[in-house]
Amino acid sequence: MAAPLEVSDPKVDVVVDALADEDRPWVVIVWNDPINLMTYVAFVFRKLFGYSEAKANKLMLDVHHKGRATVSSGTRTEAERDVKRLHSHGLWATMEHDE
Amino acid sequence: MGLFRRERPFQPIGDDTYRVNVPIETRRGLLSLAEELGEAQTGDRPELRRLFPTAYPDDPERDAGFQIFARDELIERRKEAIDVIRSTVEADTLTGEELSAWMGIVNDFRLVLGTMLDVSEDDDEIDVEAPEAGAKILYHELGQLVSAMVDALMTSLPEVDDDER
Repeated sequence: MAAPLEVSDPKVDVVVDALADEDRPWVVIVWNDPINLMTYVAFVFRKLFGYSEAKANKLMLDVHHKGRATVSSGTRTEAERDVKRLHSHGLWATMEHDE
Repeated sequence: MGLFRRERPFQPIGDDTYRVNVPIETRRGLLSLAEELGEAQTGDRPELRRLFPTAYPDDPERDAGFQIFARDELIERRKEAIDVIRSTVEADTLTGEELSAWMGIVNDFRLVLGTMLDVSEDDDEIDVEAPEAGAKILYHELGQLVSAMVDALMTSLPEVDDDER
């Protein structure tokens, strides 16, 4: 049986790490803020993500009471797109790797 | 307005159209706030931070890369929305897209004002003697406008069942 290929070139390691990084899902988080109205936040969730009124309200209440809620997930590109859409609606959104 | 006709500030009249029942003075006032925002947004005052949020709070390098494009996109979108407000300031009716432009800018202005006032949740009491009383009253009035705009635009959202997601 052949020994596993040793990859010792640091440049290759960086590329492999980057690829693994891209494959892991990203989550988009909306944080509580004292300014945006609750009805406005729920409206934005319905408009941007097509969520039902019940789901949008639940997410909004999670943001309000727990301080944050995960509102969408996907590849890094998809998550960045959602973050940008939320930012353009004045919501405080960030993205991070799914744990 | 007649005795039996009590309409909302932005009355949905079907076909993604809304009749504007907001006094023209108020609308002109909103336009001047919008133009103020349009000029201020390219500056670097700390009160503007809510207009350009971070995407990667734990990764400043990556966030800097994100901001290169995101910042310009946000500035451009706001300029377009302010143009919509300017061209519809006296309109009797607005389309959903036009009303969304109004709502976005009013909300953005409110974000900056709220940041300047350092408001907290349930911050309902206004001390009329305080130097910032005028700004706080404006902040609450803008909140009522955003709320009325949400109520109007909400009527055009499709009904969705949770099962469909």
